[in-house]
Amino acid sequence: MLPVLTGSLPYLLKGAVVTLTLSAAVVGLGTLLGVALGILATTRSRLAGSFVTGYIFVLRGIPVLVVMFLGYYAFPAFGLRVSAYAAVGLAQIVYVGAFVAEITRSAILAVPAGQIAAARSLGMRRAAILSQVILPQAARIAIPPLLNSALTAVKQTSYASVVGVWELTYAAREVVERTLAAFQIFLGVMAIYFLICYPLSLAARWSERRLAFAH
Amino acid sequence: MVVSAPMIDVRNLRKSYGTLEVLKDVTFGVGKGEVVVVLGPSGSGKSTLLRCINHLEDYEGGEIRIDGVTAGYKIGSNGRRAHSEAVNARLREQVGMVFQSFNLFPHRTALENVMMGPVHVRRVPRAEARELARGLLAKVGLAAKADQYPAKLSGGQQQRVAIARALAMQPKVMLFDEVTSALDPELVGEVLRVIRQLAQEGMTMIIVTHEIHFARDVADRIIFMDNGVIVEEGAPEHILANASSDRLRLFLRRFQGDYLAT
Repeated sequence: MLPVLTGSLPYLLKGAVVTLTLSAAVVGLGTLLGVALGILATTRSRLAGSFVTGYIFVLRGIPVLVVMFLGYYAFPAFGLRVSAYAAVGLAQIVYVGAFVAEITRSAILAVPAGQIAAARSLGMRRAAILSQVILPQAARIAIPPLLNSALTAVKQTSYASVVGVWELTYAAREVVERTLAAFQIFLGVMAIYFLICYPLSLAARWSERRLAFAH
Repeated sequence: MVVSAPMIDVRNLRKSYGTLEVLKDVTFGVGKGEVVVVLGPSGSGKSTLLRCINHLEDYEGGEIRIDGVTAGYKIGSNGRRAHSEAVNARLREQVGMVFQSFNLFPHRTALENVMMGPVHVRRVPRAEARELARGLLAKVGLAAKADQYPAKLSGGQQQRVAIARALAMQPKVMLFDEVTSALDPELVGEVLRVIRQLAQEGMTMIIVTHEIHFARDVADRIIFMDNGVIVEEGAPEHILANASSDRLRLFLRRFQGDYLAT
């Protein structure tokens, strides 16, 4: 059954390792960047607020493919040599960061004002209010949309193949060109992407439960 | 009655939201150990007054002192200067507040709610804070509910945890902002009992409430506010029996009507 797929599986799995690495970097760093920006947007600094709002506003209106092309050509335009891998990774981190920033910002704003009033009335300082009262409650609100954004980010790494980054989708296209067994191969690729995303779904469900408190 | 310097001293307090004046030149004091109940129709500025006293709310004019320490602003020879957030936070440590909507931290158990102030403000070691919190939960009759999350508690129980949480900071004064208004009638009594006990222990308190019977029982003095000004103030038996203003008479009649109806 599916002899072509079976034969080229080791090659595809090598591609999957690259996809996994790229995904980990994009989701990890993109989420970190986005959470930091999202928190920054809710501080009292007007300047920081408008910067983050502008950042979100602009990037949300651009296709990720265009951001990637921009990232890919930006470094040579300034006479810098950066690997396609790094350029694309960076572009996607910046892109994912915008979405995560908006998720974080809105989750923080969704924490009821009474919670902050109660914390302040105890004499809690800003850092303690953020870490003990706001973020734990915001995290619970943010986890489902953050999972969504992470899954989207993983799948978006397949666009990297367009600018010549060798990863799972790129490898699959090579195999298809050689063997012409497009259906079999992409069936296999589909399964691999699913297997990469599945633990992410499980992790999200676990953390949702861990953060859960009866409502 | 106390004659020494008041524990809470509010002078010529003015506060507006945009063009709406909420507090117009409010002046009063609360002595150490005194219990003052503030009555008044909705929108009369009672809650805003409490929120100004621990500076959850900014105000435009006047002066507030808690045990001699200014809240929010320092008045000097060249006008008033805003305190830093840290100075205001230090003030709030001394001023406990209980809210109409409880505002317990839903992601923390009852015990952890009570521990929040001691651990994260006063830096009390966890074990010690836990003992303190257990003691306070026992005091409000909720020792058995220590490990429950707020959502598992009734409104009356949540409000008693909220009182314990405020007490855990060992405040000099307590502010109660319509703390029984969101409760089912049969749960009001258990919360009022706790407040009454605090009054007997000599806690300095300002209580905003609509429970007139309770006000009569617990108050050393009643302040009646309407439209951002203090209309009348005095001893409860005096002020409730011989209201000198039409506004208070009208207010009392409406509430006594409510009591007859229920």
